[in-house]
Amino acid sequence: MSDVRHEARLEARHLSRHFVVRSGHGFVRPKRIVRAVDDVSLALRERRVTAVVGESGSGKSVLARMLARIVTPTSGELVLDGTTIELGSPRDLAYASEVQLVLQDPFASINPVHRIANSLARPLAIHGIPKAELGDRMRAALSRVSLEPPERYLDRYPHELSGGQLQRVSIARALCVNPKVLLADEPISMLDVSVRLGVLNLLRGLCDDEQLAVLYITHDIASARYIADETIVMYAGNVVERSEGTALIDSPAHPYTQLLISSVPDPSDPLRRAPEIEDRAGQGIFPDVGCRFAPRCPHAMEVCRTSAPPMFEVAAGHEARCWLHESAVKVSVTRREQGGNISTT
Amino acid sequence: MDSATTNLTVDELNDTVLEIEDFCVDYGWGETAVRAVNNVNLSVRRSRVLGVAGESGSGKSTLVYAVTRLLRSPGVISGGSARLTYDDPTASDVKRRTVDLMAASGSELRAIRWSQVSIVLQSALNALNPVLRIGHEFDELLKTHRKDLKKEQRHARAVELLGLVGLNEDRLSRFPHELSGGQRQRIMIALALALDPQLVIMDEPTTALDVVTQREIVNELAQLRARFGFSMIFITHDLSLLVELADDIAVMYSGNVVEWAPAGDLYSAPRHPYTLGLLNSSPPLSGERHELVGIAGAPPDLSQPLSGCSFHNRCPFVLERCSRDVPPLRILDSSGRKAACWLHDDPTTVPVALRRVALATSPGEPAPGAPMTLAREEIR
Repeated sequence: MSDVRHEARLEARHLSRHFVVRSGHGFVRPKRIVRAVDDVSLALRERRVTAVVGESGSGKSVLARMLARIVTPTSGELVLDGTTIELGSPRDLAYASEVQLVLQDPFASINPVHRIANSLARPLAIHGIPKAELGDRMRAALSRVSLEPPERYLDRYPHELSGGQLQRVSIARALCVNPKVLLADEPISMLDVSVRLGVLNLLRGLCDDEQLAVLYITHDIASARYIADETIVMYAGNVVERSEGTALIDSPAHPYTQLLISSVPDPSDPLRRAPEIEDRAGQGIFPDVGCRFAPRCPHAMEVCRTSAPPMFEVAAGHEARCWLHESAVKVSVTRREQGGNISTT
Repeated sequence: MDSATTNLTVDELNDTVLEIEDFCVDYGWGETAVRAVNNVNLSVRRSRVLGVAGESGSGKSTLVYAVTRLLRSPGVISGGSARLTYDDPTASDVKRRTVDLMAASGSELRAIRWSQVSIVLQSALNALNPVLRIGHEFDELLKTHRKDLKKEQRHARAVELLGLVGLNEDRLSRFPHELSGGQRQRIMIALALALDPQLVIMDEPTTALDVVTQREIVNELAQLRARFGFSMIFITHDLSLLVELADDIAVMYSGNVVEWAPAGDLYSAPRHPYTLGLLNSSPPLSGERHELVGIAGAPPDLSQPLSGCSFHNRCPFVLERCSRDVPPLRILDSSGRKAACWLHDDPTTVPVALRRVALATSPGEPAPGAPMTLAREEIR
């Protein structure tokens, strides 16, 4: 997109998280493995917003929690600023001060019985900021999220603020330890329509002005298009499509992305109709072999049911995990371990 | 969306199912009362969809709960009337009946609810009893309202209803937690249609759902409406969804209806600054990326009402009188559309963005002319 080189801050390499569940009733309950996140690689770069789009159950929140090291990955590795993180080791303060997570519901993620000042002072105290500096750091954090003047907010309780203001407090709390990576898990979905843009513009501004690497997780593909530098679509734990900028939204290559985009209500285009979904009963069933979208895919072929597709390059900087694109390109691409670079085989 | 209302005669157009007049709802009593719905006048026409848009706290849900007399204390209906007109299949002579919902007794209400007016709530997980199988919900409903049905007939009807919303009959033996969000919401819709009501109220039925599931349910609703011809009140905060779905849209802000217009007109040519702001708040899926500005400030705190227009502290076109006088909801032109805004009092004060010509075509044509956005700057 731009000529400036964007340093990778946090990288995920082949990150997976599998959960073991037991289903059914009775004495013998068969074990089943749910692949919540399966072999996901991505790089969060400074001054870039990486948007991850997916519906509920696609594994996008588990991915964010793994990146924040709240959930331990089953396999794969995390690389922070070039240093590989020992996965078994407990999350230490150093990691937490570099990577911070903002959650979806500000009403649930800020303690309702404490003043805002308390919620902001807590992480600062944990990260060993001297008491004398606390006030300045808190005020600075609130100013960074455009809550002006900060003094007005420090003594308030969460119920005295609106959802939009509270989400800004939540972002301020994440920023007050000066992280390099900000993970935002559906930061606007609980907010009123009229204040959503304000929070999105804030995230974009923070990313540009403070060299933050931002992961923006959403189910609202239009908002991803609004702020993203790189867009990733997840389905059933897999990355099904990724592109630089918003190419995948403007010209979606994967049938799931096409379905997702055509489902968004868009009154400016009345002739557009959602494509028929082959088998609605297939929803919620993710096969272990073959493409995980195959049961719902209108273009599903024989090969889709037998072997899982790799990523195929559709255009420069735009790949889709779909067999349909196998013949369209001469070379198949695989994501190599080094730095998320694409190499041809 | 397809609507079943293409060739209406004048008579049918005047045929209202629900007429709400000067409706006011307070929370609490006396000095501390908070006005949640303020002098709302709305009507729902037969076989048509009225969309109600607004943010949280705008009073949209309170309005329909109060109208259907489901509002619980400390909610108080402090004024106004609501009349429901319906066809009574059991009556021998006069088929069409009008009931004053505010004066109706408990037994009258019980006769109307579900059989004439049904409601679909936002959270189907909370609306369905978690310890009862789905089949039980259908059975109980039919047992109460259709006493003549035998057990097998009730089961057959439940299967038929599930078929309407595209679910297999094996769902009847499931518990709510075994179903996905979309399936639960479909069950709620099937339950709402069980007694063939004249009016179905949908309170944010798709808000908690994924966009793909939302699309399926919206398409299904359109088909069901074409088939059964029920009227609908559809409440949501998603204005672009409403433009597709509704015939008329009322935009609520801070308890007041601030604009009312046919869906297409409202989208292509908003007249109230708040409607314009809402339309500008959703990033588009196509075209150049521009920095968009939502609506400045925060949604209103109803316990501290503003003097004058409740939107004046967030309005980009605010006039001096806006903070003094409350604008009435007035008819603007021959199409009958209404807005509550002082800007339209004097033709010279109407900003370009609120002066666009409504397209005569169906909802959704992109409008030419004046820019919609207030500020357009490339993000990078």
